[in-house]
Amino acid sequence: MRTIYLFGFGLFLAALGHAQANPDVVPGMRQELESVARVASVMVDGDVCQKIVTQRAKGYLFAVDPRDQFLAGDNYDVDEASFNAIKKILIRLSHLVSFPSDLDLWMPIEGHPGKVQMVIRNKNEMSQFWQWGALYQDMIPQMEAVLKTGQRQTVTDKPGWISVLAPVYNSLGDIVGVIEAVGRVKVDAHENVK
Amino acid sequence: MLRLHWQVFLFLVMFLPGQCRAAAGLEVLPEFLRPDPFGGIVAPDRSGADLRSSLYDARHRVALTGARGGYVSFHLLVKSPAPGPYTLEVAIIDPAHQVQTDLFREWFHFTESDQRYYPDALIPVRTPYSSRLPAPDNQIPQQTVQAFWVDVYIPADAKPGTLFGKAKLQTGAKAVVLPLQLVILESLIPAEDVVTVDHNSYGSSWLAGQFGDSYRRDPSRWFESDQFFGLIHAYHRIFYEHRGIFHQLGYGHSGKVGPEFAPVLTGSGRGKHIVNWDLFDRHYGPLFDGRAFSGTRRGPRPIPFVYLPINPEWPASYEFWGEPGYEAEFVNVVSEMERHFREEGWTHTNLEVFFNHKKRYMGFPWDGDEVRFPKDLNYFLEYGRLLRKALPPDSPVHFVFRADVSWDMEQQFKLLKGIVNVWCCGGGILSFYKDAPKILRERGDIVWYYGGPPSVTETSSAITELPFRAWLWGVNGFVHWLTVSPGEDPWFHFDGGGTALVYPGERFGLTEPIPSVRLKIQRNCLQDLALLDSFKRRQPLDLLKGEAARSFNNSKLDDWWNPRPALADLPSDQWLGSAIDDAMQHTEKALAHPRASAWYNVHQHVLKVAAEAK
Repeated sequence: MRTIYLFGFGLFLAALGHAQANPDVVPGMRQELESVARVASVMVDGDVCQKIVTQRAKGYLFAVDPRDQFLAGDNYDVDEASFNAIKKILIRLSHLVSFPSDLDLWMPIEGHPGKVQMVIRNKNEMSQFWQWGALYQDMIPQMEAVLKTGQRQTVTDKPGWISVLAPVYNSLGDIVGVIEAVGRVKVDAHENVK
Repeated sequence: MLRLHWQVFLFLVMFLPGQCRAAAGLEVLPEFLRPDPFGGIVAPDRSGADLRSSLYDARHRVALTGARGGYVSFHLLVKSPAPGPYTLEVAIIDPAHQVQTDLFREWFHFTESDQRYYPDALIPVRTPYSSRLPAPDNQIPQQTVQAFWVDVYIPADAKPGTLFGKAKLQTGAKAVVLPLQLVILESLIPAEDVVTVDHNSYGSSWLAGQFGDSYRRDPSRWFESDQFFGLIHAYHRIFYEHRGIFHQLGYGHSGKVGPEFAPVLTGSGRGKHIVNWDLFDRHYGPLFDGRAFSGTRRGPRPIPFVYLPINPEWPASYEFWGEPGYEAEFVNVVSEMERHFREEGWTHTNLEVFFNHKKRYMGFPWDGDEVRFPKDLNYFLEYGRLLRKALPPDSPVHFVFRADVSWDMEQQFKLLKGIVNVWCCGGGILSFYKDAPKILRERGDIVWYYGGPPSVTETSSAITELPFRAWLWGVNGFVHWLTVSPGEDPWFHFDGGGTALVYPGERFGLTEPIPSVRLKIQRNCLQDLALLDSFKRRQPLDLLKGEAARSFNNSKLDDWWNPRPALADLPSDQWLGSAIDDAMQHTEKALAHPRASAWYNVHQHVLKVAAEAK
C-alpha cells in the first residue's frame, strides 16, 4: 500500500516538475493564465453553460449513419443566448491577459464518461487539446482531475504551449465544465486560418 | 518436340527483355485517353480506347484542329522498351511566330487506393528535352513509356489556315519523326467564359508546407516576403491562364484573420479604425489592378472576385455583438475599406462579404455556411443592415454579399432577396429547383454551384461534367471547394487528387505551382463551352445545350435535373442527409459513369457547329 502511495506521489511530482520545467514556457505567462483561469471559475455561470448545447444536438452527437457521414455535425445546434452570454464573458476575461490568449469552454457529455466536447472557442483559434473539427473526443486526465477535484491544472505538454484548466460551477455546486485558458510562447499567425 | 518448341517460343515472348521485341517510338493520344507508364491506357479511360488512333489521318500524320484564341492539346508518348537516354523535340512551324507549343512532362502518380499509376502533374520542360527511360525521378520499375502533354496555343489574331510541324525522338543514332498538321479555324473562342470556374483554398499556411525550401530560408519573415506574395500571385496566374479564378479564404471558423488578408486595426468601439494597409495592399494591389497578370497570354486584368476578411469577429469584436459598439466598429471599418478601394481605383473586383463558419466548429452560435436552421438567417438580415449603413449607395466599389447555401436555399432565395446577391449552391439540392437559376439571374444575382475535383481514378471526362452542368443549368459558375491540397506525398503515395488541381513545382526546381492533366482538360472544356455558347446568336441556346448533352452522354436536358421532392416542403432542419441522396436518384442514374470520350464527342460537335457557322 505504501508503495502505491509513493508511486502516486512520484507521478504527481513528475507531472508538476514537467509543467514547471518546460523551458519553452515563460513564467509570467503561466502566472497570468493561472490568474485569469481562477477568475473565470468565478465569473462563468455553469447553469448557463449547461443550456448551450441543445437537446437535439446532444441526441445526435454520437449518431452514426453509414449513408450520412455528417449526421452529427449537421444536427449540431446551440442556444444562441446562452452561447453568446458565455462567449462574451470569455472574450472579456481574455483581456486580463497581456498576450494573445483564448479562454475556451469544455464540457463533459452526460451518459458518456471519459468523453468531452469543446463548446466555445475564440478568436485566436488556440487550444492545446482540441482535435480540429471534432464534435467530441476523449477526455485528458488533467480535465478529468479538474472535474473530480475542482483543482486547477496547468498543462504544458505541447512545446511552447501553456493551458490552465479551471472548473466551472453551477448553482448546485456541481462542476459542469472546464475553462481552458491557453497561450503560446510563439503565436503562429497563420495556423488554423482555414 | 513440337510441344517443346511451343513452350520455348512462349517463354521467349513472355520473358525476354523488351528491347528484343520492339524499337523506340512515338505515339499520340487524344487528351481524354491518359496513358500509363507501360504503354496502356489507365483503366478508367479504357471506355474510350476505340478512339486511340483518332488524331491520326490516313497518312499516319497527326491531324490537329483548333479555333483561334485557345489551345489544342494531346498526349505525346515516348516509348522505349529498352532503358536508355532519349531526346524529344516538338514544334509547329509558324512563319508568323504566333502559334506556340508548350511541352510538359507527365508525372505518373502511384495511387494508394488502387495501387496503380496515373499521369496528372505536368512539369513544364523546354524542347528539345533530354532524359532517359525509366525516368530517374519518377522511380517506376519497368517503365517503358514517358508521356508528355502538348499544348498548342493559337492566339486570337492567328491567321486561319494550315501549319505543319513534327515531333522527333532521338535514341542513340536512331531518330523517329512524327509529322504534325494544325488546321486553324476561322472561329474565335471568346475571351470571356460563360462559366466561371473557381478554385478555392483556405489560408496561406499550406504554402509554407508545399514550398518548404523557400520557407526554410527565412521562416521568421517568409510570410511578409516578396517570394510569399509572388507565390500567391502565381497561384492566381496559373488558374487564370487556365480560364479559371482562385479564391483564398483569409479567416478561420472562430474568426482568426491571417495578417495578409486584412488591414491592421486598432482601438475599440467608436475608436476602432484601420492603421496599416501594407500587407493587404501588397497582397491584393497587383490582383485588383491586374498587374499580377502582366505577361500572361490572357493579358493583365483585375481579378473578378475576392473574399473579404469580414466575419463575425472582424472587423467588429464579437464581444459587442448586439450592442452599439458592434455596429460602430463594423460600420466605421467597412466604410474605411470602401474609401480605400475607391481611392485606389479598385472598382473592377467583386468584394465578397462571406460567412464560412459553422457552429459545429464552436466559434459562433450560427451557421454562416450552409444554413440549416432558419433562425440563423436573422444574422444575415442584420449584416445586410450593417452593410447598407457602411456603404455609400452610389459607391463604384463592388461589395457583394455571398452565401453558400444548401439545405435551406429555397427559403433563403426568398427571404434574403436584395441582401444576398451571390449564391453558391450545393449542386445536389439545387438540382431540385430547376427554375431557381433563371429567377435569381433575372433579378441580377450571381449563381454558382459547388463540388470538388474528381479524383484521377475517375474517368478523364469527369472534370468536364462540372462546368458543363453549370452551363446546362444556366448558372454563372462552379466552385471547386479545395484545389491546392495534393496530400502529404502526391508523388509516390497519392491520395487521388480529390482536393488538388495544381501541384507545388519546388520538387522540380520551380518557384511556382504546376498544372495538372485535369486542369488542362477542364480549360479545354471551358473554351469549347465559350465557343459553343457564342453560337446562340445563330441557334436557340436550348438547342445548343440539348445537342451538347446528347453528345456528352446521350442525355436529355431534363436528365440534369431532379424533380422537386416532397421533403422540400418540410422545414430544412427536418431533412435527413440520406433522404437528400434518395431525392437525387434521377440524375445519379441518368448521368452515371460518362465515358472517357464524353467531352471529345462534345468537342467534335462544337467543331461541327463552328464549321457550319462559317
